[in-house]
Amino acid sequence: MMEDEAFTDINGKTISLDCQSHSSFCREFTVSSPKTSMAKVMVYTCCVWLLSYTVFFFTQNTAVLSAAIVITLVSMMLHIHFVKVDHESLLVIGSLGIQLSSNYASGRETTTFIEMNKIKDIVINEAIYMHQIIYFLCVLLKDPSEPDAVSSVVPLFQSSKPRLNCLVKIYKSCQEILSKC
Amino acid sequence: MGQRRRVANPPSQGVAGARTDCVRVSDRKHNICMVSDFFYPNMGGVESHIYQLSQCLIQKGHKVVIATHAYDRRKGVRYLTNGLKVYYLPLQVMYNQSTATTCFHSLPLLRCVFVRERITVVHAHSSFSAMAHDALFHAKTMGLNTVFTDHSLFGFADVSSVLTNKLLTVSLCDTNHIVCVSYTSKENTVLRATLNPEIVSVIPNAVDPTDFTPDPSQRQEDRITIVVISRLVYRKGIDLLGGIIPELCLKHPDLHFLIGGEGPKRIVLEEVREKYQLHDRVQLLGALEHKDVRGVLVQGHIFLNTSLTEAFCMAIVEGASCGLQVVSTRVGGIPEVLPEDLITLCEPTVRSLCAGLETVIAQQRSGSLPSPASIHARVKNLYTWKNVAERTEKVYDRVAGEEVLPLDRRLWRLRAHCGPVSGSIFAFVAVLDFLFLLLLQWLVPDRLMDDAVDATGPHRLWRQETIVKQTKSRSHSKGATSS
Repeated sequence: MMEDEAFTDINGKTISLDCQSHSSFCREFTVSSPKTSMAKVMVYTCCVWLLSYTVFFFTQNTAVLSAAIVITLVSMMLHIHFVKVDHESLLVIGSLGIQLSSNYASGRETTTFIEMNKIKDIVINEAIYMHQIIYFLCVLLKDPSEPDAVSSVVPLFQSSKPRLNCLVKIYKSCQEILSKC
Repeated sequence: MGQRRRVANPPSQGVAGARTDCVRVSDRKHNICMVSDFFYPNMGGVESHIYQLSQCLIQKGHKVVIATHAYDRRKGVRYLTNGLKVYYLPLQVMYNQSTATTCFHSLPLLRCVFVRERITVVHAHSSFSAMAHDALFHAKTMGLNTVFTDHSLFGFADVSSVLTNKLLTVSLCDTNHIVCVSYTSKENTVLRATLNPEIVSVIPNAVDPTDFTPDPSQRQEDRITIVVISRLVYRKGIDLLGGIIPELCLKHPDLHFLIGGEGPKRIVLEEVREKYQLHDRVQLLGALEHKDVRGVLVQGHIFLNTSLTEAFCMAIVEGASCGLQVVSTRVGGIPEVLPEDLITLCEPTVRSLCAGLETVIAQQRSGSLPSPASIHARVKNLYTWKNVAERTEKVYDRVAGEEVLPLDRRLWRLRAHCGPVSGSIFAFVAVLDFLFLLLLQWLVPDRLMDDAVDATGPHRLWRQETIVKQTKSRSHSKGATSS
């Protein structure tokens, strides 16, 4: 079973949510962010180059121009490798655990796995983020020795930041699996 | 959706629409946001007033949220009893738990709270709180109705009060309604802020009578105990107390003093105790927690209050509710608080207070004083939070039908009301605030903010049943709070 739906993130950009049901106790949710627009890349590149050309105009040193090219290329690479997340996914496997992974635009992937005996619950929480108050989905962790206390909190979908309607859909789906085990 | 549109275009149409439908339905429910710098974990009169009032309004079916600044590690969004939602916003604290005011920096977060909670009435508390004034200012810019409660009395003479009075004038000149805790406080506020007395209501504070019940068995019958519970500061007349103690202790060998509270004037009392060798008869208990106050009160026969200024004295009501005979100074709003036969009023001098105490001690010895249970029975129904909530509700009903001044008339009002210089300055600030709001509405449009899930009010998801279930299964209650 597979569905694909369009939602927006907290800044109003369109994101897509892809729910895959592998079996009755295993589901995968993937939130894909929009691709970096060409216009944005052009604006940043133009800014750096115009600036460097102004400096070159006064200093007449060609090293400035070569530096500008290197800076643009390196920062683009760093951006797609460390900052720009293409899609984030949450794999919930009943009785086993939760796997969180985020794929960067360069193809780099980071994955974390949380065992079921450390998971207390998955909830939607509210937080103050920059100058906004937003909803986000998070996993509550517990120490297996103290089953009643929450030891720490792992926020989910940190870079895509979907809005409440999308979170509620994921939340309900997750709870269906978590309540079975 | 109606409120949404109202926030989007503050000056005109939305407000007029709200006015007509509120006149038709008088028992409509409000979405109230209480704003003050002072809230739990800080302790005091304003804090408990906001908490108790909110709880009673929730029971009456209104939606209430509270906005305050972050206290140390306590920041973000918290829920208290019965789904009372508290926003601890990360604003910089400057002095005495009051935030710094720049008029602008708090707008993004407060706007976010007002929009996502679909607030209709903003209720600010305490004139010492900069955040309350900021919230009033922004709420008026956003076209929301505003109410302000003043909890303290102020002077007119010194420089600091001249300045604060000016600020209060600016802040209150276009506020819809003002609430004071006593008639003296109303008079004071009307004069300070040059207000029209018709928009000022008097709603006293209240005490929870079930918390303060008498227990005569705790008294020691071989002696007469005088209880004093107040912060040990100049305003509370601790210097007078230091004059009374030796004089009365000399005359009555069975007289004991029990003093609860902490403050800079503690040294005065310690000196007196040292000088007259009264260590066994004057006990200084230090700072008391609210839950321990009753335990101290019931040990005494007489409650003494030596305040030099007081808008509404909660302490004497608590004392009387515990069945003590009250002796107090005749200052501020105190004469309005209790019926004449339950309180002995004196001038704020050592001689007058001693004379007052002497008569009460004589009555106590002759046994002509009413019994603690009968005093409690009379005080019990004088000040209840339910009554306070009902009266505040009426203020909200009235305010909801009023018009919020559009920007041009607000500017005109500021300049006409607050003098040519400060009026013009604040009119300029109001214009900047409006432009800042437009910028924010462009950066983060209202439609991108998710409506908050209601825990209180008519559309609440957190019902009584879920609270019962919450004790049984924790996962269930989480569903109720978050989904």
